[in-house]
Amino acid sequence: MRLLLVEDSVGLADELMAGLQRQGYAVDWLADGRDAARQGCCEPYDLMILDLGLPGKPGLEVLREWRAQGLSTPVLVLTARASWAERIEGLKAGADDYLCKPFHPVELQLRIQALLRRAHGLASRPQLEVGGLQLDEARQVVRCGAEDIELTAAEFRLLRYLMLHPGQLLSKGQLAEHLYDGETERDSNVIEVHINRLRGKLGRTAIETRRGQGYRFSGVR
Amino acid sequence: MRSIQRRLGFGLIGVLLGAGLLLAETTLWMFDVGLRRYLQDDLREQAEVLLASLVRGQNGIQLDEPRLLGVYQRPYSGHYFRIDFADQSWRSRSLWDHALTPSPTVGLQDGLADGPNGQLLLLYRGDYRRFGQDISINVASDYTPILHAYRRVQLFGCLLGLGVLVLVVMLQRLTVRRALKPLEEVRRQVEQLQQGLRHELDSGVPVELEPLVAQINHLLRQTESTLQRSRHAVGNLGHALKTPLAVLTSLAARAELAARPELQASLQKQLAQIEQRLARELGRARLAGEALPASHFDCAAELPGLFATLAMVHNRGVTLDWQAPPGLRLPWDREDVLELLGNLLDNACKWAQTKVLLEIVGGVDGWLIRVDDDGPGMAAEFRGEALNRGIRLDEQVAGHGLGLAIVRDILDAWHGSLALQDSPLGGLRVVIELPARREGG
Repeated sequence: MRLLLVEDSVGLADELMAGLQRQGYAVDWLADGRDAARQGCCEPYDLMILDLGLPGKPGLEVLREWRAQGLSTPVLVLTARASWAERIEGLKAGADDYLCKPFHPVELQLRIQALLRRAHGLASRPQLEVGGLQLDEARQVVRCGAEDIELTAAEFRLLRYLMLHPGQLLSKGQLAEHLYDGETERDSNVIEVHINRLRGKLGRTAIETRRGQGYRFSGVR
Repeated sequence: MRSIQRRLGFGLIGVLLGAGLLLAETTLWMFDVGLRRYLQDDLREQAEVLLASLVRGQNGIQLDEPRLLGVYQRPYSGHYFRIDFADQSWRSRSLWDHALTPSPTVGLQDGLADGPNGQLLLLYRGDYRRFGQDISINVASDYTPILHAYRRVQLFGCLLGLGVLVLVVMLQRLTVRRALKPLEEVRRQVEQLQQGLRHELDSGVPVELEPLVAQINHLLRQTESTLQRSRHAVGNLGHALKTPLAVLTSLAARAELAARPELQASLQKQLAQIEQRLARELGRARLAGEALPASHFDCAAELPGLFATLAMVHNRGVTLDWQAPPGLRLPWDREDVLELLGNLLDNACKWAQTKVLLEIVGGVDGWLIRVDDDGPGMAAEFRGEALNRGIRLDEQVAGHGLGLAIVRDILDAWHGSLALQDSPLGGLRVVIELPARREGG
C-alpha cells in the first residue's frame, strides 16, 4: 500500500512516517500544498493523508483540486481545526475521513486500515478477511484456518495488497508502484521472490501467475 | 412604551387648543370693545337729542314729550334714560318701575348696569349745562341680545373648533404614520435581523435614517469580521499548538517508552489533560454566543451536511436521522449550532447500537432539541455526575464528558438548559431547551 502524507510539520511528519513504515506502508512525504496538488494526481496512491494547514496552498483547496480532476483515492484529513463547521467543510471538499490533532497513533492506524478496506468494498469489518485468510495488521501475521502464519515485513505488505485486490490481475509494475515509495529502487525480481515465498507459506494455489500479465490472488479456498 | 405618534398628537392638540381659544377670545373681546365704542356714539347722540328736547315751560324745565322717540314710551323696550337736574329726576316710561342707577362717571360705564326685566344695560352718562342748570343725562340701551349673540357665536365657534381639531388630529396621524413608515420598516427589519431572517438592514431609507441604518450595518459587519478574525486566530493557535502536541502524543506511544510504563502513563495523562484543556478553551473562544444579531442556522440547509459528516466519522452502520419543522431557522450563529449538535450527536453515535435520532421542535417562545440513541443509556444516579463532569477542566473525562462540557459552554452563552432522560429508543435522551432570543439589546 502506498500512501501520500502531506504535512508541513517536519516533527509530526517524521513521527508519522516512522509509524506508517513500521506498519508496512510505502509513504511519500510532501510538505507543500502545490506539490501535493500535482503529485497526488500523477502517482498511483492508495490513500492520502492530508493536513489542512499547508504552506503554498491550503489543504482544502488541494483536496478540491484532486476531486475536480476525478481523483477518487480515499483522503484522510488530518487537522488541528476540530470544529464541526470545519469538519463539514472538509467533507464537502471530498474528504473520506477526518482525524483531529492531536491523535493517538493507534487511532490513525485504525482509520487508515478501515479506510483502505472501505475503499476496496470490504467495509465494516474489524479485520481484513479475504479468500479464507484473515490478516492481523497490528501483529502482521496471517491466520489461515486455525493456524497463525508469521510473515516478514515485505511479505506482509505484498499480501495485504493482494488481499485488498482479490481476483484482480496485478502486474509486477503495478505491484511495485504500490508497494514502494517514490524513492526506493524498484526491482521486479524482488516481487517475484516475495510472491514465491508467500506461495511457500500459503500454498501454491493462493496466487496464480498469468504469464506475461501478472499475478492474481485467489485465496486458499 | 413611548410612542412618537401619541406624543405628536398630544402636542398638536395642546397647541391647537391654546392657540384656538386665545384667538377666539381675543377676537370676541376686540369685537365687543369696537361694538361698545360704536354704541357709545349712538348713546351720546341720544343723550344730546334728550338735551335738545328739554324746553323751558311755564313750570320751569320741561321735556318736550312729542319730540321723544316712541321707544322711550314702550315698557322694557331696551332704550331708557334718566335725567337728573337740581332736585329732580326724570325716568323714561320704558323703565316702568325700575330705578336706573346713574353711572358714577361721565361717558360710557365700564361694566353693564342692571336693567328692568333682567336686562343688562350699556349705560352712558353725559353732563351738560342748560338754562343755568347742571343737567346729568343717563342713557341706556339693552345689551342682552348682543350678549346672547356672543354666546351663540362662542358655542358655534367651539363646535367648529372641535370639528377642526378632530380633523387636524386625524390628518396629522395620517401624515405622521406616512412619515414614520420608513422608521416602522427599519423596526421590522431589526426584528427580522434578530430572528436571523436577514443579514443587514436595507439602505434605501430617507436621509434622516440613513446614518442610523448605515451605522447598524457597519456594526454588524464589524462584529462579524471581528468574530471571523478571532476564530481564524483561534484556529491558527490551535494548529500551532496541536501539531506539536500530536508529535508528543506519538512520541509518548513509542515502543522505547513502553519499557517504562509508569513514565509513559504519566506522559500520556499530562498530554491528555493539555489536549482537553486546549480543546475546551479553543472551543469556548470560538463561540459567537449572542454577539451577532443577524446570525441564524437553517436546519434544512445545514443538517444534511452535519449528518453526512457524522456518518463518515461513525462508519459502523448506525442509522442517523433528524426531524425538524420545514423551514426551521434557529437564531444563533451557524458554527455554534453545528458545534452544539455535532457534539451531542457525536456522543450519541459513540454509544448507539443502531440508531440515533435528532428532533428539533418549537417556535415562538423557545426551541426543544432532543437527541435519542439506542445505546446502553445511563442510570439515573450517574446522570447528575455526567452533567457536572467536565465542568472541572482538569478532570479526566471520556465519552459523555468532554463533548457535554463544550455543549454546556454553548448553552451558558445562550441561556439554555440541558437534561438527561430515558430515551424511548432504549438509550439516553439529551434534552436541550433553548429560550427564544430576547428582544432588544
